[in-house]
Amino acid sequence: MKPLASLSAPEMVLVRYGELGLKGKNRGSFEHALIRNMRAAAKPIAEVRVERKRGRMAVFAEARVAEVARRLQDVPGIKSVSPAWGCEAEPEAIAELARQVLHEALRDRPADEETSFRVKTSRADKRFPMTSTELDRYVAERALPGLERMRVDLSQPAMRLEIEVRPERAYVFVQRFPGPGGLPVGTLGRAMCLLSGGIDSPVAAYLAMKRGCQVSYVTFHSYPYIGEASKKKVLDLVRRLSRYQPRSRVFVVPFTEIQTTIRDRAPEPYRTVLYRRFMQRLASRLAHRDHCKALLTGESLGQVASQTLENMTCIEAAAALPVLRPLLTFDKEEAINLAQRIGTYDLSILPEPDCCTVFMPSRPIIHGRVEACEEAEAELGVEALVERALEGTERIDIAGDA
Amino acid sequence: MSTVYLDNAATTPLRREVRAEMEAVFAERWGNASSRHRRGVAARELLDRARERVARTVGARPEHVVFTSGGTEANNLALRGLTRRREARSIWIGPTEHASVRACAEALAGDGLELRRGQLDARGDLDLARLEGDLDEGTALVAQLLVSNEFGTIYDLPRAAALVRARAPHALLHVDAVQAAGKLALSLFELGADSLSLSAHKIGGPQGIGALVLARELPLEPLIHGGGQEGGLRSGTENLAGAVGLGKALELAESERARTFERLSELRRALRAGLERIEGLELLELGDPDRQQPGILAVLVPGAPAEVWLHHLDARGVVVGVGSACQANKRETSPAFAAAGLSEDRARRVLRLSLSGANTEEEVARAIAALEEVAAELATL
Repeated sequence: MKPLASLSAPEMVLVRYGELGLKGKNRGSFEHALIRNMRAAAKPIAEVRVERKRGRMAVFAEARVAEVARRLQDVPGIKSVSPAWGCEAEPEAIAELARQVLHEALRDRPADEETSFRVKTSRADKRFPMTSTELDRYVAERALPGLERMRVDLSQPAMRLEIEVRPERAYVFVQRFPGPGGLPVGTLGRAMCLLSGGIDSPVAAYLAMKRGCQVSYVTFHSYPYIGEASKKKVLDLVRRLSRYQPRSRVFVVPFTEIQTTIRDRAPEPYRTVLYRRFMQRLASRLAHRDHCKALLTGESLGQVASQTLENMTCIEAAAALPVLRPLLTFDKEEAINLAQRIGTYDLSILPEPDCCTVFMPSRPIIHGRVEACEEAEAELGVEALVERALEGTERIDIAGDA
Repeated sequence: MSTVYLDNAATTPLRREVRAEMEAVFAERWGNASSRHRRGVAARELLDRARERVARTVGARPEHVVFTSGGTEANNLALRGLTRRREARSIWIGPTEHASVRACAEALAGDGLELRRGQLDARGDLDLARLEGDLDEGTALVAQLLVSNEFGTIYDLPRAAALVRARAPHALLHVDAVQAAGKLALSLFELGADSLSLSAHKIGGPQGIGALVLARELPLEPLIHGGGQEGGLRSGTENLAGAVGLGKALELAESERARTFERLSELRRALRAGLERIEGLELLELGDPDRQQPGILAVLVPGAPAEVWLHHLDARGVVVGVGSACQANKRETSPAFAAAGLSEDRARRVLRLSLSGANTEEEVARAIAALEEVAAELATL
């Protein structure tokens, strides 16, 4: 997003939100959640005030409005944002501002490109001396001179120069910058994400947030086989993801005893599947504590041994809640691209092991059987291991940074 | 009697709160942020928090902050690091850039890049028309200061940025914001800058630490190679205490900024009023009078070179600067003075008084009294 710098700073951000419009009765609480999340997101930049009007929101801030607009592009539930410039609610002033805004927005256009626009006025002030259509025409007539290869198209314009006329002030905007779409975080329940330091699980978390889930995290830490840097990496990923979700909770579960027990007393090929079954158990218990209705993982089909359908079935059998897998059908490349877009990739690729080599099986089972898992676990004292791990679990609450 | 320190543009005393945080690092929280053990991870955590503070102040992402040994290194890193591209043909630097930008640009010109220099207009402001004319497809980098360390002029960066975008589509804009931090809002985004440089010791932080902050992922080649710290962009064991100091100093400066600006404006008014009454003294206020960093005030002194005035004042317990501190040890005067249309003779008579929010009206009064005395004494020569 490039600011239209030869104009003075924008005064307001026009926010369009997508599906909320379809929700009828729930609209109020969704809008409420969106406003809360926008305020939290903007907080490090400026205090904002939000007004709701006719299916759109206007966000006002004392300063740094352009930065606020850019920040809002990361808030789930938002379809697009438009930084808006303000002037007196008077036709000549509006036309002049509109002309400047349009000219500036077209500045980087290739010299021979033909394009079209229309003006669209919304009038909140019925006392304004022109009707909306009259103002559309008045502004278009004054904006066109000096613009080459530009024409007015009322039906399918390439650009929409929008004007909002309010009693005390008028706003002009033409740029539209995309938001993530989706639904406001917190409107569609809570999910417990099994977060490793890898590329996939942060992407899964993001996708759930985008669809309105409040995501809590659980991560498993086998100190002193794994160092503190791994734990820090996971926490840093949570902080990075808080661009999209203002507040997050992380549960760090001590996993050493479970891994050493499995390594010492269970069949080697089944190790990874058994570790993951314990993770599902623990995650389910913590999800229950944290009022989450589903587990969330970054699993996708076929990449590693534990992600064949058979192994997934073995693992999932230990979960007490539905397991959501937003990346199930993603190619590795798709996951990487999305990770880069959401800003987690550079953290994920830092080389911090999440499983120590001493715990890895030399020939992991590819097509596991649930019965074999259950047999192996019968000897381990599952309940006691789970209880001890829960007792040692650390809870960390993380508030977002910019 | 304590001295009156009016050379804050050269360096500032370490603030109490900054020192406290740094001392905690020296005493307990020391460590190598790349070590694998808990002390190392804790040190990295501290470094990350400092990085976030810097990022937040200028509206950048933490991953785009590179800690350096100061403003000079940050400027060098920007100029060298951002112009190593094949299609780079020329770079443009402002007329009043700091020596680190000038010298680095001149070194790059020696390597084959064409160097274009901006000019000041008749009013002493940045000549934007000239800038516009100088820009073209081959311009790889534009380096323009936000606040002149010698005159205090605040240059219109947003407009300059718009021109760069319009006329030099491949160029990056680097802004030396060293003298602006703590007095002006520093939003990379609103300035239209692709990178900016900061230095801790101008805002109550320690010497030896600064930062280059990028507006987004940019192809930056490192100056210093080694263990790959700072994302490979600046190797060397991180200056943990320094980074903590910079983060704290910047955070404090930013939170107090509005008040500081007002305070400096008040003190400047009092100082100016006193200076105006001294026979022979000429205020050197370049640029738009509404766009001045209030803490910096340059004056032309009569009779003797500025350095003589400086020593006379120093003897009376009033500490001021001559031209810019970097030039104080050299025999040549800063090219910025030539850009401002000052002859060699007049350039040698420029005294710079630079205030901080910690100065008082009483100190200003003492400074004025001292200047009056020195004026009288030197007038008899």
